[in-house]
Amino acid sequence: MSDPVPVTTLPPAVVVDRLTRNFGTFTAVDQVSFNVSPGEIFGFLGANGAGKTTTIRMLCGLLLPTSGNATVHGNDIYTQPNRIKACIGYMSQRFSLYEDLTVRENIQFYGGIYGLRRETIMQKTTELLQELDLVDKADQLTGALPLGWKQRLALSTSLLHDPPLLFLDEPTSGVDPQSRRRFWLLIHRLAAEGKTIFVTTHYMDEAEYCHRISIMAQGRLVELDTPSALRDKYDCDTMQEVFLRTVSGSPSL
Amino acid sequence: MRRVFYLVQKEFRQIRREKAYIAIIFLMPFVQLVILGYAITTDVRNVGVVVVDQDHSRYSRAILASLETGETFQLLGTVPTERAARRLLDRGKAVVAVIVPHGFGQNLLRGEQPALQLLLDGVDGNSSGVALGYLQGLLAGLQLEWVREVPELARQIQSIHLIVPEPRLWYNENLVSVNHIVPGILAVLLTMITLFLTAMNIVREREIGTMEQLQVTPIRGWELILGKVLPFVLLGFLLLNVGILAVQLIFAIPMQGSLLLLYLMSLLFMLSTLGLGILISTLAHTQQQAMFIAWFFSIFTILLSGFFIPIENMPDVIQYLTYSNPLRYFMTVIRAIYQKGSELPVLLDEVAGMALIAGITISTAVIRLRKRNV
Repeated sequence: MSDPVPVTTLPPAVVVDRLTRNFGTFTAVDQVSFNVSPGEIFGFLGANGAGKTTTIRMLCGLLLPTSGNATVHGNDIYTQPNRIKACIGYMSQRFSLYEDLTVRENIQFYGGIYGLRRETIMQKTTELLQELDLVDKADQLTGALPLGWKQRLALSTSLLHDPPLLFLDEPTSGVDPQSRRRFWLLIHRLAAEGKTIFVTTHYMDEAEYCHRISIMAQGRLVELDTPSALRDKYDCDTMQEVFLRTVSGSPSL
Repeated sequence: MRRVFYLVQKEFRQIRREKAYIAIIFLMPFVQLVILGYAITTDVRNVGVVVVDQDHSRYSRAILASLETGETFQLLGTVPTERAARRLLDRGKAVVAVIVPHGFGQNLLRGEQPALQLLLDGVDGNSSGVALGYLQGLLAGLQLEWVREVPELARQIQSIHLIVPEPRLWYNENLVSVNHIVPGILAVLLTMITLFLTAMNIVREREIGTMEQLQVTPIRGWELILGKVLPFVLLGFLLLNVGILAVQLIFAIPMQGSLLLLYLMSLLFMLSTLGLGILISTLAHTQQQAMFIAWFFSIFTILLSGFFIPIENMPDVIQYLTYSNPLRYFMTVIRAIYQKGSELPVLLDEVAGMALIAGITISTAVIRLRKRNV
């Protein structure tokens, strides 16, 4: 189901140039460079601790880099973190919702935090509840929802301010295969609407859904191409095999 | 500013759903005031006294009789020997032993000024000091009567002009320690709720990941802080009012000063402890850690506030340390307003102290919450 990479003349949505982050003597992200095009689904693959989350946290303005440069939607990550925050949606693997608030209250709260007008919040709430099929669960506590619902609700709340760019950090971890499939259909619809999606995962089957894949190992970017190009290059049938080849090919393993 | 409204609204929705908060606000003041108000008392009462009467004179009987009157001492009885009295002190049955030696009455009449031995259990130095004071007063009273019976001394005493002190105790005429302790408990309650609840609340948001989610929104550091401070200030005021009501209902202690002044002072005080609570939350990664750090701070805050140990009794270094303690100022303020009816002009030092601490803790908290992890 992977669509061709969108061809565009627009400036890149994300530009990363030799971005580095050390924690003490440990280098979590080591001289990483890449660009993400507008409307692209950009997959970030790697084992746990490969540096995916650290990279995403630097791009979202949650963590300062040690060195290197990056811009998000044309905004510098050092000097314009607040402008970045206004134009990105962010969802982590923790599906950060308030479990002791109802579904409706969560939507209202995040809408308010993103500075939406009261009428817009009301309208968005109605829309979202229908879209997510949560109309009759609107006034239930969010904590009581199944994980798959929480995941889609978390995604929707991070989209309330209609950001052109979406950062998803392992958005499907712990969710059943059916919910994952539904989630990826949603992602593709968003990309078709022109949103840029930056997604990290360690599910290799999900990698197939991305326009381009970058593979990280020990903090460095070891591959960056379309899934089919990578399969051809390594002469593999699945991304799973590609991943194992790239990781075992890295010098320290 | 609209963002702050949504933060406050969210906080109250969460508070409303948490039954523990309701108990903390409406039950804790009553329970704590009743239990602590009566338990924490510096009044010395019912001090167990044992008398070794080896004299069996009119005088030793007078001592026994005077020990039986009043509420300070509880006469446990007489024992024949000093050893028996010591044993009672060792076992903690008695706190004071009065030993009237053989021939005490006779020697007294001869003007030989006989010794009267007093043994005190000094484990609780404060109480035994107070007990000794009462005991000396009591004996001084007896001596004034007896001195007239000693012809030799009676003549001398006429030429001595004794000073007769006439003590008048202001503000708390009957020296009832409840009047002093109870407003103090209110201050401690307010410290606990603002310090603990804020610290725990913010760390919980960090644990479930919503704090990170908020940090990727365009919300400003001060908006986030205000969104946390406002709900807890309101909660603090609710608790304060329940507390004031409880003080009135249970102890019938009237507030001499202005309620409005107490409100203003409480606001200032809560800002300083809320700032401290938010600072604690930036130091902790888990709610347990936050709890430990908050405990660490609150122990010092309470012990070094003058709540039960007067600050003037502390070593100089510790006294300087107490200037950094917001409760030190508020303890003075709430007691002064309750007991003396003090007005703002005499409390300006305390206002300055609390304002300075509030300013420092809140601005540090804003910086620390806004700062990206470096």
